[in-house]
Amino acid sequence: MDKAKILIVDDDPDLRRGLNLRLRANHYDTAYATDGFSAIAMAQKEKPDLIILDIGLPAGDGFVVLERLQENATLSAIPVIVLTARDPQATREKIMRGGATAFFQKPADNAELLSTIRSVLSPPWPGTVATMA
Amino acid sequence: MFTAQRGTVSNRHTVLLIEDNPGDADLVRLRLVESESDVEVRCVDRLSAGLQHLGDESPTLVLLDLNLPDSHGAETFRKILSKAPGVPVVVLSGQDDEELALKAVHQGVQDYLVKGEFNSTQLARAMRYAIERQALLTSLDISRRQQLEFKNQFLSHVSHELRTPLTCIHQFVTLMLDGLTGPLVPQQTEHLETVLRSTNQLRSMIGDLLEATRVESGKIRVEPQCIAIGEVIHQVLSMLRASAQNKEIGLEIGVDTRIPLAFADADRMLQVLTNLLDNAIKFTAPGGSIMVKAFLLESDPDFVYISVSDTGRGINPEVKAMIFERLYQEPGTIDDSRKGLGLGLYITREIVSLHGGRIWVESEPGHGSTFTFTLPLFSLAKLLLPAVVEEGKLRSSLSLITVELTPLSAQAVGNWRELRRQCLELLRSCILADKDLLLPTLGIEKREAFLILAAADLHGTEVITERIREQIMRSPDLQGRVVGNVSAVPIALPTRDSSEPIEKQVQEVADSVTELVMAVLLKPKNLEQKKINTKVN
Repeated sequence: MDKAKILIVDDDPDLRRGLNLRLRANHYDTAYATDGFSAIAMAQKEKPDLIILDIGLPAGDGFVVLERLQENATLSAIPVIVLTARDPQATREKIMRGGATAFFQKPADNAELLSTIRSVLSPPWPGTVATMA
Repeated sequence: MFTAQRGTVSNRHTVLLIEDNPGDADLVRLRLVESESDVEVRCVDRLSAGLQHLGDESPTLVLLDLNLPDSHGAETFRKILSKAPGVPVVVLSGQDDEELALKAVHQGVQDYLVKGEFNSTQLARAMRYAIERQALLTSLDISRRQQLEFKNQFLSHVSHELRTPLTCIHQFVTLMLDGLTGPLVPQQTEHLETVLRSTNQLRSMIGDLLEATRVESGKIRVEPQCIAIGEVIHQVLSMLRASAQNKEIGLEIGVDTRIPLAFADADRMLQVLTNLLDNAIKFTAPGGSIMVKAFLLESDPDFVYISVSDTGRGINPEVKAMIFERLYQEPGTIDDSRKGLGLGLYITREIVSLHGGRIWVESEPGHGSTFTFTLPLFSLAKLLLPAVVEEGKLRSSLSLITVELTPLSAQAVGNWRELRRQCLELLRSCILADKDLLLPTLGIEKREAFLILAAADLHGTEVITERIREQIMRSPDLQGRVVGNVSAVPIALPTRDSSEPIEKQVQEVADSVTELVMAVLLKPKNLEQKKINTKVN
């Protein structure tokens, strides 16, 4: 089976590099984008199976990216895990309403993040999309 | 002289005079005319009329007689102050109740005048100063709130900015520890584990900073639901077992299996218990032990008690009162180099009290401490209360009786469906079949709630409730298998033609109660926005 591809969207190069290493070590293919605008372009080009999205981004923040993904018939099917340093009390609800599948505050627990990625990529029942609290 | 604020163009003042004695009211008016004050006086003779006026308009000042036909004494000024907290109040007191007037001043009234003992100049002066003092207080309050808001935003920004580099440290340290960047020698692993521990400490401190500001500005959010507190305890224990083992501290658990569901925010409880256990681990020397218990007390049947006891060095009596205060630091901790921010117990206490519980500590220096907190048990009746009862408008000819059953243990219950049928049977025998209604039953996580709408006055409701209690106690089918909690809530009847038969009214209320219960059970926080779907008279 092909490796699943994950698109990392984050403007911090060190965070991208770290997450990239972590995901590759867990046998995922990765691609990345550094701002809101290229996030959409990369999503269209790379057709990832999952997007890990930061919220504070140049050229269209994470909320804008979520909105654009939702508007697009093909892209709206891609699950999005939001990974942000922002305060969950202030943003979690808005993010989940925006169509994200899961929310993690940085720094996230690696084991939890990976297990969420696994369950999002392989829904427990064929034909359904896993939803995470 | 009482005039518009100096230096400003006259902005006419309005005074609300609440005084039932026409003679006294006229005298006040006369004094105001004498003082050449540019005021418009609106006079009412009842507290209710005054409160209504304050709801519609906002006068510059209230002149208040404390003894009115519909309210006496302290109650009078308390109601006015809470209705219009920003409006200055001057009390008009009788000669014999100056003491009460002084009390009023201590509780937020700006000034008082003794009837028959003030002239126009004194009245004008009292009013002017009252307005000025109130304005000062208001602006102080506004600037305090602005400061809090600024602090909140600032800390929110700071914690966001601190988290980004922290995430980077966390990611690369864990990458190395997981061996993803090449093999490590044991000493390197040990050092990296130290870095990781510090990173995690830093992370929780950043979280606490923001949380403490939220507590201060009342922005901390608590969303209670029905939760099994035992499960939360197990979850926290499994999270902290490793750090206890590292210090060779034993972790024990004692949860009474009969504890009904609590009404609390599970995430917040996780936070509270983690805080208490973290502290216990920190203050207990290797070889000691920590015990977490959850239990019920007969003397306090509406709450569940949760305690965390350690065999640590205990807390001195003189600091016991201070440890829940913000920024309190325990001097000379075992782990002296890491004192933390001193916010944990402060946040913990606030979270517990937001749930309607309390927290306290018992300790014997040298022998350990026990932190205990309480949480309200989940009660359908209590949950429904604000939605079915309009404040001050009780009509007691209709009541909602809730019977909540909690199984004692899975073995004792046996066939739950059969048990439910027996309960229904029993309840049917307790009510008057022609008037009272047994609504659909509701299962909520291993327990069952039965709702009865009784067409009875207060006394009748008491009789039914008592009868149900007795029957549950006596029923051989239920004995030893379930704990039953029976409570009644009087319902505000909808406005309607009273010629309508009671049965029809009951049926209509039954429909909206059922709808309400369905809507709120899964998400109790919705209850605040919901009211029973009928107009209340």
